[in-house]
Amino acid sequence: MDIEIFPHRLLSADTTERLLNDLEGIEGIKRIVIQGQRLPPKEINENHRTIILKGEEIDLQVQTGRILMDIEDEEIIEDIRTICEDHLPFGFNIHLGTFIRKQKTVTDNIKYGEALKQIPEEMVGLTDQNAQLSERATIIKREKQ
Amino acid sequence: MAQFYPGTSKVAENRRKFMNPDIELEKLREISDEDVVQILGHRAPGEEYPSVHPPLEELDEPDDAIRDMVEPLDGAKAGDRVRYIQFTDSMYFAPAHPFVRSRSYLHRFRGADAGTLSGRQIIETRERDLEKYAKELLETEFFDPARTGIRGKTVHGHALRLDEDGMMFDMLRRQLFDKSTGMVSSVKNQIGDELDEPVLLGEPLEESVLKEKTTIYRKDGEAYRDDKDAVEVLQRIHVLRSMGGYNPE
Repeated sequence: MDIEIFPHRLLSADTTERLLNDLEGIEGIKRIVIQGQRLPPKEINENHRTIILKGEEIDLQVQTGRILMDIEDEEIIEDIRTICEDHLPFGFNIHLGTFIRKQKTVTDNIKYGEALKQIPEEMVGLTDQNAQLSERATIIKREKQ
Repeated sequence: MAQFYPGTSKVAENRRKFMNPDIELEKLREISDEDVVQILGHRAPGEEYPSVHPPLEELDEPDDAIRDMVEPLDGAKAGDRVRYIQFTDSMYFAPAHPFVRSRSYLHRFRGADAGTLSGRQIIETRERDLEKYAKELLETEFFDPARTGIRGKTVHGHALRLDEDGMMFDMLRRQLFDKSTGMVSSVKNQIGDELDEPVLLGEPLEESVLKEKTTIYRKDGEAYRDDKDAVEVLQRIHVLRSMGGYNPE
């Protein structure tokens, strides 16, 4: 199932980095999509910068407006809410629903052709159709237990 | 007496205040002429005004009754270029908004052309007159450093949530909030070119002050539907326009 964190303000790169690093500690989050206004290069807008998440460098190309998450279990929402309360003092909403596309579509087929079969299910729906998946998606490996 | 805007709410009163040229608007900040020129970005401070035609006095114009009746603007007399300043007003209780700006400009500023769009508002006139008007627009209640943007291009942001520091979203980050001083300064001119020295625009207004000064009806401020008088006039205009003089009897 998906949830959407909707902060009442647009988040800076610093807050996004702190929030995501704390959310990373929660078990049961499968995928995260950061949605927001796209930003020009960092010489023009300093919020366009590289953030570090579990040692993995991620180019934050947007000013965070929404954080969409694919989670395994409804029970972790309370943990997520607690973390958000620490980082988002100006208020936020958490909505339940379907926010990330789960199925491969005809458009995917046109875009990737035969290669679509090799694309794992988890990579579907992470970006908009016009973007290169490699430019937008980063895989963060889970630590082995 | 001119009727500027109907309604009994504070918002309606504020709208009338902007539109009525007899009311002098409160001056909230001091911005020097040179800084205004820098923000506009049309010429370098101290530079002569470039002209598009010789001064009117030197022109041999045909006799015309209208020319006698209408006194030209200073800029027109000198043959200045027509230049612009454009503002974006946040929906989060900015003091002005495009339609109020346009109506106010037409009442307050002579010889200026106002252009209204949903998220931005432009005023065009001769360069030296524009600088005078721009100074007034920046120094008075028309402007709030956080919720109003001076944006000649890349205007996007009026309908977005505010940034964490309470500033309206600006892709080019022209106006920056300094946490240590609590002041906003303009670091780029209206089209996003870096300024040599930042121009101090002052402190953003408090949320409560903005709610007092705003001309925007909002459900979480003053709702339009609660302003019975304004709605009544709107409905009357709507009916009259729909009927267009048609009388079914």
